[in-house]
Amino acid sequence: MRVVRQAVLLLRSELRQELRDFELLLSAGFFTLVLLAMFYLSFASLPVKHSLPAVPAMLWLTIAFVGVLTLTRAFDREREADTLRALLAAPVERLAIYLAKAALCLLVLMLCCLVLVPGLWLMFPGGAAFAEQPGQTALLVLLGCGGYVAVGTLFAAGLATGGGKNTLLFIILYPLTTPILLYALATTRALLDRHPDLPGFLGQMAALDLILFALAALLFETVLVGAGVAHRPRDRPRDRNLSRKPAP
Amino acid sequence: MRKILPDLCLLAAMPLLVYSVHRVFLETPIERQMGTAFKIFFFHVPMGWLCMLMAVICGVAAGVQLRRRSAVAGAVALAAAELGFVTGLGVLLTGPIWGSATWGTPWTGDARQVTTALLWLVIAAYLLLRHYGPRSSDRLAAALAIFGAVNVPIIYYAVKLWKTMHPSTGVVASLPPEMWATFWPGLIALALCTLALFGLRTRQLVLADELDAAWVRLDDNL
Amino acid sequence: MSAAALRPDAEQPAPVAALTGVAQRFGRQVVLRSVDLELPAGTIVGLVGANGAGKTTLFSILAGLLQPDAGERHLFGSPADEVDAAARARLAYVAHAPQLYAGLSARENLALFADLRRACGLTTRPADEVLLALGLPLAVLDRPLATHSRGMAQRVALARALAGRPELLLLDEPFTALDARGREQLAQVLLAERARGAAILLSSHDFDTLLAICDRVVLLERGALVRSAAHEGDRAEFRRSAAAIWQAGPDDPVSPAPDLC
Repeated sequence: MRVVRQAVLLLRSELRQELRDFELLLSAGFFTLVLLAMFYLSFASLPVKHSLPAVPAMLWLTIAFVGVLTLTRAFDREREADTLRALLAAPVERLAIYLAKAALCLLVLMLCCLVLVPGLWLMFPGGAAFAEQPGQTALLVLLGCGGYVAVGTLFAAGLATGGGKNTLLFIILYPLTTPILLYALATTRALLDRHPDLPGFLGQMAALDLILFALAALLFETVLVGAGVAHRPRDRPRDRNLSRKPAP
Repeated sequence: MRKILPDLCLLAAMPLLVYSVHRVFLETPIERQMGTAFKIFFFHVPMGWLCMLMAVICGVAAGVQLRRRSAVAGAVALAAAELGFVTGLGVLLTGPIWGSATWGTPWTGDARQVTTALLWLVIAAYLLLRHYGPRSSDRLAAALAIFGAVNVPIIYYAVKLWKTMHPSTGVVASLPPEMWATFWPGLIALALCTLALFGLRTRQLVLADELDAAWVRLDDNL
Repeated sequence: MSAAALRPDAEQPAPVAALTGVAQRFGRQVVLRSVDLELPAGTIVGLVGANGAGKTTLFSILAGLLQPDAGERHLFGSPADEVDAAARARLAYVAHAPQLYAGLSARENLALFADLRRACGLTTRPADEVLLALGLPLAVLDRPLATHSRGMAQRVALARALAGRPELLLLDEPFTALDARGREQLAQVLLAERARGAAILLSSHDFDTLLAICDRVVLLERGALVRSAAHEGDRAEFRRSAAAIWQAGPDDPVSPAPDLC
């Protein structure tokens, strides 16, 4: 209960900061538009038959790119003034920090999808099914982004406390998020094909989200501050008094 | 005993390797459907299994490293990842050669191929993070290894799901029993080599850490 | 310099925080060699040392942000392999940087951390009270933090730490960025905290201020606490022995002084 209350407080503070300058939302939204425009320029002449498999790829590639940007920017806010360390030293459950950040990033990604999905629907004939099944589309995007953010938040946080080099996030996040992205690709294809098994696919995605989320939540504190198995002083370095005798 | 174990493994692997190459090329009959290209099988499959083994070792060692904060487990994980990288590269190079000779295409996008390729990417990302990450990135790399190990079955299943949308015909023919007699010596020889290198590399990494500690003690007493 | 030797009186109750043989290294870079330190209740311990001596790492270990490679950490009388939320509720850490959200006003920053404490059923004292004692005009509290000077931000960070009435107060260079009056006010506040019974570890390059308020001064050099001087009633004697510590070069033996190890 305490975790939830603290997570809500942290999320509220994040949203308050976001509503003052809209930095995260505007940069992520703009990047979504840019990617959408680039995809349109590249694939506008695609025949309908080929645009069907291309639409899921464009959807999840955009989310993967925008997701890294969002995660990086969300933790840059903490890096600038080193506030993450202040939170870690405060009586705040570490899980609450994870939950608040993940919720913020998920929210931003979902808002970007409000631009992205209608954009794909308008630009490519293959995306017509999005409009026919708005509920399933929303659930699919939520589950896909949720799994992505569950993994991404852990690694973005780990790099944010490590001091520098958050460009590494681009390298490590994509190989790790392939399972959820592959699942999302397959499910999106099923949705566009009006596959009868779609609810089953969505259920499997939800289960996968749960696994990824549980694993990330379990590892979060250990990655940020380390496990507390203190070595006993038997392996302590040699007594420095040998070298530092006071003068006679 | 522990010190010379890797050397003993290498020593035992040497005649076995010669014997297995001899068997593969001179004793085993040419496979009827796939022809000479089938000989790749005897190197490709053991390397695939060893790559998986190394990935599992890396994931488990990373878990121990996180939980018990053991530097030795960290060294084991790094050594396993490095060998997984090498064996995985072998799998990914030999696979398409075999595939193009038998299926007519180097890459069919079969679940096992994609899983191996993605696993190899995770191992590469792990190595990049261990070598170029910030000072405290050992723990983050360990989390990456754990996620990578958990991902393997999920990726396999996800690709199968993905393939149901794209039916394909790449099916490996079942193996006649006499081929297995050639397969096992080769597997054991390669496994001994890999484990020996793994042991050597782990010991090297542990020694490097001990050397650092020794430098520190020397500094202390200056 | 064993832990017992550092403790002025062995019959005192268990210290608020204690480190025994704590070491930390990253590869060949040693940050802490073997640190023994005790912080009894109601005392102010001054930590001096050159830049890079390992002061910040020491603070991080005490605050639970870093797990030591070796050695033991005791907090509030019991071994603390991990510094859990209950232990973090009883300590406060003010880092070298103010660590405040630039997008929030000072009041919102303080309110956020007060609310987070309240969510675990902990009380805080009104921030205004502390801020006034630190000489921060309340009128500026609602301005965005970006418009605050470094000194003002430092006061806000101190107020955030003091609001929880911590039993263990870890202050990394709290006097930096404060003007002469601010330093005087902070010194008074810290003396009041000591009177309340808090254990305070304080690092500073401002030696005069340290000498004025500390009960003990320890020198951290190349990752080890090498010398210490305690205040035992005679301020002038304390000043003399502490100055000897400070002025001794890295390899100079210290001239004989009453409380050297």
